Amino acid sequence: MSTTDVQADAPTTGTAAPPRRVLRGSRRAVARSARVDRIWLALLGFVLLAAGTLAALLGYGVFGAGRAARPLLDPLIVDALRAQQQLWRWVAIAVGVVLVVLGLWWAVRSLRPERRPDLLLDGSTDSTLLVTAGAVAGAVGDRAAALPGVGRARARMVGSTGTPALRLTVWVTDEADVADVCRRLETEVVAEARRALGLAHLPVAVRLELDSVTQAPRVA
Amino acid sequence: MRVLLRTLSPLLGLALAAVGAIGVIEVVTAWVRPASSGLVVPWPAWQLVLSELTWSDRPVIVVSICVAVVGLLLLLVALLARRHDVALTAPTPEMTVATSPQVLARLVGRTVRESDDVAAATVSASARTVVVRAEGWPDPDGGFRGLTDTVRGRVSALLDELPLARRPRVAVSTRGRKEPR
Repeated sequence: MSTTDVQADAPTTGTAAPPRRVLRGSRRAVARSARVDRIWLALLGFVLLAAGTLAALLGYGVFGAGRAARPLLDPLIVDALRAQQQLWRWVAIAVGVVLVVLGLWWAVRSLRPERRPDLLLDGSTDSTLLVTAGAVAGAVGDRAAALPGVGRARARMVGSTGTPALRLTVWVTDEADVADVCRRLETEVVAEARRALGLAHLPVAVRLELDSVTQAPRVA
Repeated sequence: MRVLLRTLSPLLGLALAAVGAIGVIEVVTAWVRPASSGLVVPWPAWQLVLSELTWSDRPVIVVSICVAVVGLLLLLVALLARRHDVALTAPTPEMTVATSPQVLARLVGRTVRESDDVAAATVSASARTVVVRAEGWPDPDGGFRGLTDTVRGRVSALLDELPLARRPRVAVSTRGRKEPR
């Protein structure tokens, strides 16, 4: 199947507003999300802060001098645990297993590299047309780097196979008109990529950087 | 902060998993062999120490404060590790354009330093504010109104050119330079 065939089969781009997932996709593609890491870290920090503060207040006698003088391993608590030994063993094992699962999930999730989805253009039973993420990124990056006002550019596919997105990092030169660069990226690079790949929508996140530090002459 | 977050996350995840695994191992060992003194952790010795220490003992209070401080630091890392991007207006809704505050600061700094009236300048920027500290020569009347206006005008012109989604507030402070121009 050629690119032309794909275009014919694909839904028309038209002027219809992009679906909400496309809009979300472009915002999410700006950078790898650290939301889960931040939530877990905040939760852990809050638990430690609350536990440490309460223990310190208890030690200073804020909750009563009698309580502050009791041992850390309170005999009352030990007796209560011993009274239901079987139950508390299972509870301890369950808590331990949950910690192992959550801890490993968090570690693996943090270390896992970001996904680079390939684009499946045709997945019929007798043939498959797949464009690799690297090929799309290379083509788009090269095309973006050739725009006036752009020193260099790097592209990568992000998101999932079902909802791919493009992250484009562009290093603009000193003389660049930033608004014009953004406009050209959309009309000359991304629109072309959408047409070539037969995609009605492709969310794009553009990150602008300065190409290099150049000192303007102070004396004409 | 994000680098710290990325470094801490797997380490803390592994630490949590290790604590859980040790807990399970110790509970099962104590269950199967009640006479054992712990496989990994010497819990009978720990039990003895913990039953002798009270909440008001100095080491307990010191450890409690340390735990609270560590918790506060983790909380701060989590809160401050958000992205501080400067949003720009995108030509279509399918596109999101952003840059970093450092890029905005460099652009502003470069524009300000190009002026002959400015000897040196430091700039800090965020999506909401741009702060310029410019060094230059005073006006004939000894004031810095001219320098301030020059810097403010240049920054405003640059912000007009950039397709920023939200125009940041500009704050300019000036300082005199003793050397001749």
